[in-house]
Amino acid sequence: MWAEFFRDLVDQGPLIMRGLGDSLLLTAIVSLTGFFLGLVVFYFRHCQFAIIRLILRGYISFFIGMPLIVLLFLMYYGLPPWGVSLSPFSVAVIGFTFNVAAYNAAYLTTAYHALDSAELEAARAAGFRPFQVFRLITLPQVLRFSVPALTNQVIRNLKDSSVAFLIQFNDFFSRVQELAATNFMFFRAYLFAAVVYLLLVMVLVLIARQIERRVMIPGVYIAPESLGSSAV
Amino acid sequence: MALIEIRRLRKLFDGHPVLNGVDIDVAEGDVKVVMGPSGCGKSTLLRCINRLVEPSSGSIHFRGAEVTGPDVNVRSLRQQIGFLFQQFALYRHLSVLDNTALGLRKLKGMKKKEAAERALHELNRLDMAGHRHKFPAHLSGGQKQRVALARALAMDPAVILLDEPTSALDPVMAREVAQLINRLHGEGVTMLCVTHDLEFASAIAERVAFLDEGIVQVEDRLSVLYEDHAHPSIRNFFMKQERSS
Ligand SMILES: Nc1ncnc2c1ncn2[C@@H]1O[C@H](COP(=O)(O)OP(=O)(O)OP(=O)(O)O)[C@@H](O)[C@H]1O
Ligand SMILES: [Mg+2]
Repeated sequence: MWAEFFRDLVDQGPLIMRGLGDSLLLTAIVSLTGFFLGLVVFYFRHCQFAIIRLILRGYISFFIGMPLIVLLFLMYYGLPPWGVSLSPFSVAVIGFTFNVAAYNAAYLTTAYHALDSAELEAARAAGFRPFQVFRLITLPQVLRFSVPALTNQVIRNLKDSSVAFLIQFNDFFSRVQELAATNFMFFRAYLFAAVVYLLLVMVLVLIARQIERRVMIPGVYIAPESLGSSAV
Repeated sequence: MALIEIRRLRKLFDGHPVLNGVDIDVAEGDVKVVMGPSGCGKSTLLRCINRLVEPSSGSIHFRGAEVTGPDVNVRSLRQQIGFLFQQFALYRHLSVLDNTALGLRKLKGMKKKEAAERALHELNRLDMAGHRHKFPAHLSGGQKQRVALARALAMDPAVILLDEPTSALDPVMAREVAQLINRLHGEGVTMLCVTHDLEFASAIAERVAFLDEGIVQVEDRLSVLYEDHAHPSIRNFFMKQERSS
């Protein structure tokens, strides 16, 4: 039976590899766009204009509260009647980006509360501009404190990318489903998918630990649970 | 004309006056000490000078120019005034050397190498050069204090404001800080120091100004203030201190 399964797997190999490539591409893109949009949201979340702060607080709550799948369906099936038809890939990138950025901005905001306000004041007293204080003191510390949460988010992006098959995106998981549908070996197919996801996650975890080790501030330890990083 | 001239300075928080007409002069090369009980507005006074706090009224002249005006360049003002915080406030993600060099690079526009050399020079002056690769979390309170001083001195300020420099230190370290301040005084550094530590005050100055209830109640030699002063709040402050030390 396993031999038969692997024969089919090899037959479908090119398609499955393409699906895997697309899954990884989606994960990589939304991890980057979500990171940078998250930074922007975080920056303006603490700017001097109360109205902008309020709007961005709303943004974070809204996209954290909204299930990703609802957002993707809304954009993929809900927009075409209004004349907006986007490809599955575009919908996935846009939807994930808004969602991931909201989470990342929330992590950064939590880390912001772990800053020592005296340091920020010392920087202002030295004559740094507000943006310099942000770039030279706030951001380097907040990013370091957030490494566990931000890298967990990348792992979540990889796992969540599998829901994109529900909007016709031909990701790795959808290719595995096709394989299962041809030979009805569901258990083997999904077990195979599970092993692949687990291996990828393990690689990401190892990379995350390396980053953590490199950017750690000597002598400063902030408990991860106080920084909003959820378990993988 | 004095380097800093403060006249009738008032600061209200929520309608309540914390400073209520303070007059103080700091002459160039001077070490001026302001004492007063906890909560009397010592930190607020210092923070008005570099505009971390906006004064409510009165005037502050620094190098002959009013600093409370609306079109004063606050950042340039702050670059001329070193500020030492009670808790040192070192940037904890930067090494001792980078803490000292950051302002030189980003405010004075020095190249990395030049800034490092200058920073090292200041660290050397405060016996901290050997610790230049350490991070703030791995320094003792007295060492942090020295780095904070080196960071301030590196910017070549006209004056250094010190907010209770000994309150986070044990008595031995406090004595070392006093020696350090005396040495810097000898080298011509102008300082304005607020404290409620009498031993420390007497180690760095002969005269002190006593701030209470929003005004400078008296400015005199410590030996005079020690004696049974007619003013009850002064008597209270200095007698309590003597008992505790
Ligand atoms: N930003 C602020 N808003 C409202 N009240 C303030 C503010 N800053 C200081 N105060 C009040 O002003 C008074 C003086 O505070 P300040 O910190 O200047 O005193 P201090 O003499 O430095 O005290 P300490 O010896 O405890 O450091 C206090 O009653 C304090 O509560
Ligand atoms: Mg104070």
